[in-house]
Amino acid sequence: MKFDTVIMGGGLAGMVAGIALQQAGKNTAIVSMGQNALHFFSGTFESLQAPSERLAELFSAAGIRVHYREGVRLMPLGTFKEAALSLDDIDLFPTPKFGRRVLIVNFLGYHDFFSSFLAEGLEKQGMECRIRFLSLPELDNAKAHGEMRSVQIARSMDRIWEKVAQEIRLLLKDEDTVILPQVFGLLDDTIPGRIRQAIPARVVFAGTMPPSIPGVRTQMQLRRRYELLGGTFLMGDQAIRAHEHDGVVHSIATHNLDAHYLEARNFILATGGLYSKGLVSNPFKITEPILDLDIDQPQDRNEWYNPTFAGDQPYMGYGVKTDEHLHAVKDGVAMQNVYAIGSILGNTRPNLGSGAGLAIRSAFAAVDEILRSTSEQSEI
Amino acid sequence: MNPNEFDVIIIGGGITGAGTQRDCAMRGLRTLLIERSDIATGATGRNHGLLHSGARYAVNDAESAEECIRENMILRQIAAHCIDETDGLFITLPEDDLAYQQTFVEACRKAGIGAEIIDPELAKRLEPSVNPDLIGAVRVPDGSVDPFRLCAANMLDAKLHGGQVRLHTEVTGFIREGDTIKGVHTRNRQTGEETDYYATVTVNACGIWGQHIAELAGVKVGMFPAKGALLIFAHRVNNMVINRCRKPSNADILVPGDTVCVIGTTSTRIPFEECDNVAVTPDEVTLLITEGAKLAPSLSQTRILRAYAGVRPLVSADNDPSGRNISRGIVCLDHEERDGLKGFVTITGGKLMTYRLMAEIATDLVCKKLAIEKACTTAQTPLPGSEEKSYEAVAQKVWEAPTTAQKAAASRMGTRASRIRSSNRRDDDLICECEEVSVGEINAAIDRLDVSTLTDLRRRTRVGMGTCQGEFCACRAAGLLVKAHGCVERERKDLADFLQERWKGNFPIGWGDTLREAEYTQWIYKHVLGL
Repeated sequence: MKFDTVIMGGGLAGMVAGIALQQAGKNTAIVSMGQNALHFFSGTFESLQAPSERLAELFSAAGIRVHYREGVRLMPLGTFKEAALSLDDIDLFPTPKFGRRVLIVNFLGYHDFFSSFLAEGLEKQGMECRIRFLSLPELDNAKAHGEMRSVQIARSMDRIWEKVAQEIRLLLKDEDTVILPQVFGLLDDTIPGRIRQAIPARVVFAGTMPPSIPGVRTQMQLRRRYELLGGTFLMGDQAIRAHEHDGVVHSIATHNLDAHYLEARNFILATGGLYSKGLVSNPFKITEPILDLDIDQPQDRNEWYNPTFAGDQPYMGYGVKTDEHLHAVKDGVAMQNVYAIGSILGNTRPNLGSGAGLAIRSAFAAVDEILRSTSEQSEI
Repeated sequence: MNPNEFDVIIIGGGITGAGTQRDCAMRGLRTLLIERSDIATGATGRNHGLLHSGARYAVNDAESAEECIRENMILRQIAAHCIDETDGLFITLPEDDLAYQQTFVEACRKAGIGAEIIDPELAKRLEPSVNPDLIGAVRVPDGSVDPFRLCAANMLDAKLHGGQVRLHTEVTGFIREGDTIKGVHTRNRQTGEETDYYATVTVNACGIWGQHIAELAGVKVGMFPAKGALLIFAHRVNNMVINRCRKPSNADILVPGDTVCVIGTTSTRIPFEECDNVAVTPDEVTLLITEGAKLAPSLSQTRILRAYAGVRPLVSADNDPSGRNISRGIVCLDHEERDGLKGFVTITGGKLMTYRLMAEIATDLVCKKLAIEKACTTAQTPLPGSEEKSYEAVAQKVWEAPTTAQKAAASRMGTRASRIRSSNRRDDDLICECEEVSVGEINAAIDRLDVSTLTDLRRRTRVGMGTCQGEFCACRAAGLLVKAHGCVERERKDLADFLQERWKGNFPIGWGDTLREAEYTQWIYKHVLGL
């Protein structure tokens, strides 16, 4: 199978690159293991301010609703964090005190939404809080099929959200704000907005333990958009080896496709960091498993860690080396048709940001490099 | 009567202290146990969890070996829900001297330990994970024991006999009148509250910290801090304990326990200042993996969950730099006889296996001082939870058709599992999926077993001990603690402390899946949950 570009990794970076290339008329494939960092997405695009016109267009065409405002957002454990570009699910406030009286609603038996932490955090800001639990037979039925976790609840909520809104209206006394767990709109992203309209108070959705419902939904929207543009999405597969000659990769082998190699002019490596297995570690070093790319790292493993859990961890900074065009470097030489994007770069590229910002900025940068190099080639 | 007055105060919430309190309480004494941290935070909770048959000591220390096998048989009867009767193998590898096997077996038989030489082929069938190159094998009645559970059960029984327990409470000094200890000054480390407690006899059962407590009382007990490092693997690779049949050395015991297995240990003398915060070094990690893989080769491919280290409370005897040649013998000091200080007793030395015997010896001395004549019954009376031998039978009785999670609860709680049977089906919600711990079990621990922090809860229920190392369950369990204690502020700090404590045991082995999991945990707590 032959493509202009093959992208390894279907997280935020890989999807954005794939969509941008398809839009530019390129024929691409994305090889995705399935889960990625979007499954624990906070809903705020880290290190991004106002979206560029290009990003805004991409999101809007994919149906991803975002908004932008410099302010703070409520975190699941009741703290506040500065935030800017976020999904519509996330409320952005000018200051942490966003209400006076707050009703926090959880579902009985749901342990992944931290209502008492939220209440304490809001009370610290001078808000009065009341916590109430809804007991719903529909969720008890879901419980029979496994533990109550965000995705299970969200599946039910897609069906019964109107009933839930009704129950909340009955619970509501004189509160001006209602806080609900972020378990709405898994498949239908209009539901959070419709709940906001159905309840006569400001509705704020607070995050839960992953999987993140807004993140899972965003992933599905990006994939739908990519496939609509004609991209080939190889779900549940992973690149296992690259075939190269003189520093140029001509094809990759994947786990599922056996001897049917994916050939392409360019390759984008968006396989993520350690958690996503884009990088792997053993007691002696951190390596990149597909191409064995160069990685900046200290010899002594003891330097990988900060003994303080909450401190910055050096190991998170180690990523594959690239030149300034994001060409991946192997044995000291930049590979001219391989680009590394997203968290496989490590989190220490100040010009690219971190998290979602790093993913999006590096994806666009690699796409531009590919488009420039192919137009140069066609001119020759 | 003054509510702060007791017959006996026991300092130290390890297994020796808990066992001593139980024994004293069962003989009718009014008891108070004071622990500066939580139960089993010293050597009690930082070892293999090996139910020694005594075979390991048979050749060099016949007395310890005999004590071990006697207590081994007793614990099987009185602590069934804390024990897994796995049996053990002593294997001879090609590089070991097979002649030692004969010496070993003879010494075992002399000490009363059933040691049976078996065909290496049979050994491989009995324990498929064992190194297939073995040239000799001896089967012995080793087993595994959950020291946290054992400690909690002893303390619970003491409380059922009227005893009182003050955890997170530090002894800051002694109340002394002339040549007599009359009680202790204490300070609660969580609230800062200072309280004086009085008793006719005070027992120092502080393990390696006993030297410091003795100093506070004005007497000298020389201890020898010897660090032992261990690794926990994420799977139960072996079903029988595997030992090397040779002179005791580093990393030659592999013990299965619940869902994991533990390799250890090393032995290094450390300065006293390090006892409160022992760290595992990279060299120790390497040694443990290399030697461990000789017992069960698959260990070299198995994910490591944690590294940890404990400090053996050996009583100083000679100048041996490794501490291995010192007897694990029990030391009970009557400071009245020894130093002319009345009302003060130190019980130390010994080991997890002989805690009950140590408790008996200490209690005999306490009773003598109080002029009470009452025989010890701890060897015949099952601990709470251990009234029934099979946890499956318990689970059946409580739930009729128990789920695997309910069976897991019964294996941890024994007959006390009946306490979590309730009409509220929310009690079945799982908080910790790795170890299958339910809301009901956690609430039962909070109700009865003095839980103030997540780390306390972990020791009593195994919450957060599994492969995710608390990544998912810590927050959930924190929610339940808030409900019980009503303080979010405190719980927020507790959650941070818990994660820090998990990380401490993770980063020394921070590679592969362990580092993956850690990266995920660090990312979500910081960026997604906002701790």
